[in-house]
Amino acid sequence: MLQCRGLCKRYVTERGTVAAVDGIDLDVATGRYAAIIGRSGSGKSSLMAMIGGLSRPTDGRVIVDGTDIWSLAEDELAAFRNGHIGFVFQFASLLPTLRLADNVALPAMLGRRGAPSEIYARAARLLGQMGLGDRLDAYPSEVSAGEQRRAVIARALINEPAIVLADEPTSDLDEQTEIEIMDELLAVNRERGTTLILVTHNLALAEQAEQIVHIARGAVVA
Amino acid sequence: MRLLASLALQNLGRRKARSFLLVAAVAVASGVVFTGATLMRSIDRSMAVGFTRLGADLMVVPEGALTNITAALLVVEPTDLVLDRDAFAKARLAGIARAAPQKIVRVEHSGVGSHHESADLIGFDPALDFTIRPWLVEKLNRGMRPGDVILGAGRAAPLGSELLIFGKPHLVYGRLGRAGVGTHERGVFMSFDTLEALAPSVHGHGGGPPPVLQKGNVSGFLVELAPGATPLQARFAILSTLKGVKVVAGDSTLSGIRQGLEALLDGILALMVLMFASTALMVCVLFSAIVAERRGELGLLKAIGARRGQIVGMMVTEAVLATGFGGALGVVLGVLVMRLYERSLVHYLEKLGVPFLWLDLPRMAAAAVGAVVLACLIGALGALYPAWRASRRDPYDLVRGEG
Repeated sequence: MLQCRGLCKRYVTERGTVAAVDGIDLDVATGRYAAIIGRSGSGKSSLMAMIGGLSRPTDGRVIVDGTDIWSLAEDELAAFRNGHIGFVFQFASLLPTLRLADNVALPAMLGRRGAPSEIYARAARLLGQMGLGDRLDAYPSEVSAGEQRRAVIARALINEPAIVLADEPTSDLDEQTEIEIMDELLAVNRERGTTLILVTHNLALAEQAEQIVHIARGAVVA
Repeated sequence: MRLLASLALQNLGRRKARSFLLVAAVAVASGVVFTGATLMRSIDRSMAVGFTRLGADLMVVPEGALTNITAALLVVEPTDLVLDRDAFAKARLAGIARAAPQKIVRVEHSGVGSHHESADLIGFDPALDFTIRPWLVEKLNRGMRPGDVILGAGRAAPLGSELLIFGKPHLVYGRLGRAGVGTHERGVFMSFDTLEALAPSVHGHGGGPPPVLQKGNVSGFLVELAPGATPLQARFAILSTLKGVKVVAGDSTLSGIRQGLEALLDGILALMVLMFASTALMVCVLFSAIVAERRGELGLLKAIGARRGQIVGMMVTEAVLATGFGGALGVVLGVLVMRLYERSLVHYLEKLGVPFLWLDLPRMAAAAVGAVVLACLIGALGALYPAWRASRRDPYDLVRGEG
């Protein structure tokens, strides 16, 4: 269960204080597919960053399965992100100097979640499930944008997280690849019971979600 | 962690030109530190031997004593006049680095040399001496003991052989090199105790042992000036404190050269420290830029669970790998420079008869290891602050390219 209570994110600019997220309350049940939609600059990415433990809220709390994640010490929060949350960013977020297998194995290696041989076997299995079984040794620059995004999904799943946060995961992909990537994400949600929170401004993608949260000017409007 | 270390290594390979420049800059700095440290220590050793061989800056003898002044070497001549052995220790004069007391007595029928030949027996304090032992060209492989004697270059006797002086057995401990000064060439050198033990056999002008062989008496002092002190200042200090003495100055050019060289070495040391600091600063600036350029990557690593220590560790490892390699390269360059130095200047100095003593191999190896460690330290210190700052940022700020 994910709960947000009074979540605020304010930025101090030269023109004064700007509230990117302004007192949002939100509940997402475990295993649910929720879509956060809104126009560019509405605050949906800031909300996702706070939910994912990436950006400290100015106010409010984020509670994941009973843990108030922003009350954790910094290294505890890093360990929490590592074990409980998988990220799929809106940009190609693979490290260019590592092979696809290394990229996928990296979160598990960082969290020391098993012996390296076990971790690499898991990474190979996940890449195989994403249709990249024959590209384990390829570098990100050697595969297509769609394949890179699949590798990112595999990386997000390596530690079997409770929640996958996907921030505009298909914004730079063609229509066919977008459909394929969304199918992969939905499969993760349905087959593994992983909570999927998708941030998008594409209403068509949000239509399949069980819960739609519409954000405008930092607040939930629907 | 191996993956992070491999990531650090691959990051270096990603920007080859920049990594090459970083390695080159550190190589130059550590090459200078290694070469500078080695040469400084070598010059220091050579100076310690070479300049002390050239004798003292000043000689203090009783008023009325004879002295032998050569261009480079001050030597006390035998005399019946004496000074208090502790005169300098009691006076604690400013501008004096060291003062070595000596006793000298010229004897006949001692058994040293041919029957009628006179021999100079010279006593010195091994703990204070700086003018005799630098001339040792060979010696037994142990410290000097009572009963041991050192022979001047003009006297031939194998090391370890027995030499009878007034019928008493003495052991030849060492032999001095040629100095071109009679007393040094003909002399038989020994500790004060050994010389004083011969007193009953030596007859002075009054029939009894000469006063210089009594405990507490010496023929004179050989004096080395402290860095920065002038012979004139020291002479004034000595004459105003010690009564009944004469101060004899050696070649002031040599004192000037020694003091000048010491100042030069201090200057080189200061330059090396400055170079170290500026290279550390340069690495810090470079890594600030590298961290800024890789904010997205660091943010991503934090997002997927890298802890602060892992982020800092990765950046510091990257810097240490580059600067450590630069340090090792600098040592190789330094060795090449020193080979060149050896073939030119050192060869020339040795042709002139000026000794140049290289550091021994273990110390040179220690200097090499020190230079590489220092280079690694530069990298670690240079990268630490930017990495630490980046590790404090929220992952989202880093991913968005802020901070």
